[in-house]
Amino acid sequence: MTPGVPLLFSAACLLGGVVCGPRRARTWLALTLAGAAGALGAALLVLGGAPDWEWRHGFAVGGETLHFRLDGLSALFLALLGLVAGTGAIYAQEYWPEAHYPASAPGGRSWWCGLVLGMGLVLVSANGLHFLIAWELFTVCAFFLITLDRQRREVRKAGWLYLAASHAGTVCLFAFFATLAARTGSWEIGPLRGRLDCAPLFWLALAGFGVKAGLFPLHIWLPAAHAGAPSHVSAILSAVAVKMGVYGLIRFSGWLPAPAAAGWVVTGLGAVSALFGIAFALAQNDLKRLLAYCTVENVGIILTGLGAAMLGAAHGDAPWGRLALAGALLHVWNHGAVKALLFFGAGSVLHATGTREMSRLGGLWRAMPWTASLFALGAVAIAGLPPLNGFVSEWLVCLGLFDAATRPGPSAWAATPAAMVLAVAGALALATFAKAAAIVFLGAARTRSAEHAHECGALMRGPMLALAALCLALGLAPVWFWPAIARAAGAWNPAWAGREPPAPLAILGPLQGMLALLAVAAAAGLWWKSRANGWRRGLTWDCGYAHPSARMQYTSGSFAGIAAGWFGWLLRPERRIRRPRGPLPAAASWMERVPETVLERVLGPAGRALLRLSSAARRLQHGRVQAYILYVVAGLLAVGTLVLLGGMP
Amino acid sequence: MNETTNLLIGIAMGLNLLALGSSRLPTLILAMSAQGVVLGLMPLLIVEPPDWRVLLVAVATVAGKGLVIPHLLRRAMRTAHIDREVEPFIGFVPSLLLGAGGTIAAVAVARTLPLLPEHSGSLLVPGSLASVLTGFVLLIGRAKAISQVCGYLILENGIYLFGLLLIHSTPLLVESGILLDVTVGVFIIGIIVDRIQRAFDSLDTRKLTALRE
Repeated sequence: MTPGVPLLFSAACLLGGVVCGPRRARTWLALTLAGAAGALGAALLVLGGAPDWEWRHGFAVGGETLHFRLDGLSALFLALLGLVAGTGAIYAQEYWPEAHYPASAPGGRSWWCGLVLGMGLVLVSANGLHFLIAWELFTVCAFFLITLDRQRREVRKAGWLYLAASHAGTVCLFAFFATLAARTGSWEIGPLRGRLDCAPLFWLALAGFGVKAGLFPLHIWLPAAHAGAPSHVSAILSAVAVKMGVYGLIRFSGWLPAPAAAGWVVTGLGAVSALFGIAFALAQNDLKRLLAYCTVENVGIILTGLGAAMLGAAHGDAPWGRLALAGALLHVWNHGAVKALLFFGAGSVLHATGTREMSRLGGLWRAMPWTASLFALGAVAIAGLPPLNGFVSEWLVCLGLFDAATRPGPSAWAATPAAMVLAVAGALALATFAKAAAIVFLGAARTRSAEHAHECGALMRGPMLALAALCLALGLAPVWFWPAIARAAGAWNPAWAGREPPAPLAILGPLQGMLALLAVAAAAGLWWKSRANGWRRGLTWDCGYAHPSARMQYTSGSFAGIAAGWFGWLLRPERRIRRPRGPLPAAASWMERVPETVLERVLGPAGRALLRLSSAARRLQHGRVQAYILYVVAGLLAVGTLVLLGGMP
Repeated sequence: MNETTNLLIGIAMGLNLLALGSSRLPTLILAMSAQGVVLGLMPLLIVEPPDWRVLLVAVATVAGKGLVIPHLLRRAMRTAHIDREVEPFIGFVPSLLLGAGGTIAAVAVARTLPLLPEHSGSLLVPGSLASVLTGFVLLIGRAKAISQVCGYLILENGIYLFGLLLIHSTPLLVESGILLDVTVGVFIIGIIVDRIQRAFDSLDTRKLTALRE
């Protein structure tokens, strides 16, 4: 079967979903699931070995005839899209039901289908103009999904910030595609590896796609949007929408010749994003904001791999570049699956307690064992611990970097620091997720709402279970997924098209399996032993007190205090302290808030300065005719002087 | 011929200073119209022998600038009940200094311009530049609409003077067209002045700032 059939079916179903979303919830669910399954099926067909699908039709949209293409690289992202679109749709049934949100739930269903359709079109478009149209479609749909809960001021603010930042990026993309079309004479996009004059356009693409991907200084929209959106939307944003930026970067770094410095810059930006992203994540007190910053980190890891691959391709298609690229591509899947799982878990906590503040949660594992264990699994996976999937891809990227570092040549100078930064980021990620899981699920409930939490229902648990199973499979048997990765890597650089898995990956699978067995055996042994000795239940942090209270526990701030202190120069936390004084002290308090440094300390002041300048310039327009004539005379005199001084022969 | 034209241009430059220094509207109008008459006579001196078309233009210019336009302005002044004070933004002494400095600068600049040899000895170019500058000083430095019209007309005189350089090659139709334009322009401004007076109870252009967005 050609992949076109399921793709067409999927598009039809999603269009149907857009139309019937507001009225018929069940039909919408069936159509969305069918659409997601169609996309997933088409992607798996291509990844499984079917030839690239290409389809042209004379019908013109915006003056350009239709041209679609599904190759290994776009199929990789399409599979992720299908997966998250389907699981998110099921999750939303319970998480954002019509009964609780009569105003926003019906619209949300239509926007969901629009978002999925838009992203799918981005992936299959082989025409720059249609790519831009699809890009805009999905950006706008995502805006309406982020602002589903738009009664809240912070959500509206986050939505506007997202829209503004996205469009700043889209401007770069318009410039990129228009210049590309002007140079090649056609809007068609495809492999142009020989056109060396198009190489500088890569910088435009880096800026445009970098905003969407959340590269470190361009990530300003990401935390607020992910935190304010409903959790199923945060999941698809983080797992797929952000990956559209990554897709664009991988796509066009593969199709266009890259400038000589591009590999270095992408590696550097990736490493910086990874380190700073996780440093911010560590300091967050809001569970979903923490996950959002963690997305910045993981995009950084993917781009470090991509940068190393670009360096490798520039140095005679070195095999270490292939390893790093494979790691980056696999991390796209891994991060997509894990982050969707974690956002679903965070949504489940939010659903049960009504708050995202970690300092108001605690002790949830007793009331929500499913959510707690699935979140813990996701935390282990995203922290890059074996035997789960996060380890596999990060390890591949690091292996590529290690290989590059040991070879003579200039790329060692990029690879060595990048590998070191990734190692530090991995350690911080472990600290971050130890904090997130421990503060939310262990210890005692810090507030009443956390005490009365309840487990989520089957419709929310099911998607999480499916994603967790996928994480396990990706971790324990990475070789199964290798053909897909090899296909995508081949689409990026035809020189790396081989199907045989690299040796490290082949031995990694059995090792991970053994490690998993060992962990299960150790857990079983521990359980058996503690059962034999009798249970003694206590709080997680009773600190040796006989009757500890919930307020004696670590807070999220104190848990991460030391590690966050190392990054004080970057995070610049704002503290308000009232110390106890005197023999009978009044109430004391300690409040700490981590600002959005880039937004509040750089962009905010710059924007205000610009506004002040503009209002100062506006004073020139005051309505006095005489002064206007003076402007004209001054201008004339200036021009005359210029002519007299410079223009006279 | 050259001495006579230079004399007339000198008179015009003197009238510029009079216009800048006068504190009463009638004097300003008088200075402006006298300048128009003086300049209107110039084509007769430049084109030798004067044919009937040059004569026609000269007569029309003298009649337009010397009689019609001042008459229109005086009538507007009368019907709109305008005070006769000029109300300067830039005081009279600074205006005069600006005008004098501008005249000296005009003479200096005209020396550096690449002129035809037959124009190099005449005051045509400095006179025209000085009139344009005077017009601008009046436009910028006076509050009342009527005095601004006078400034505009002096500026136009400067441009007219510059146009005389090309009198041999410019069709007289163009000259007469410009003259007609100016007359109609002043006519319309006379009407507008009346309207502004009715709407704002004043002719002070400073009050027009209320019209900005």
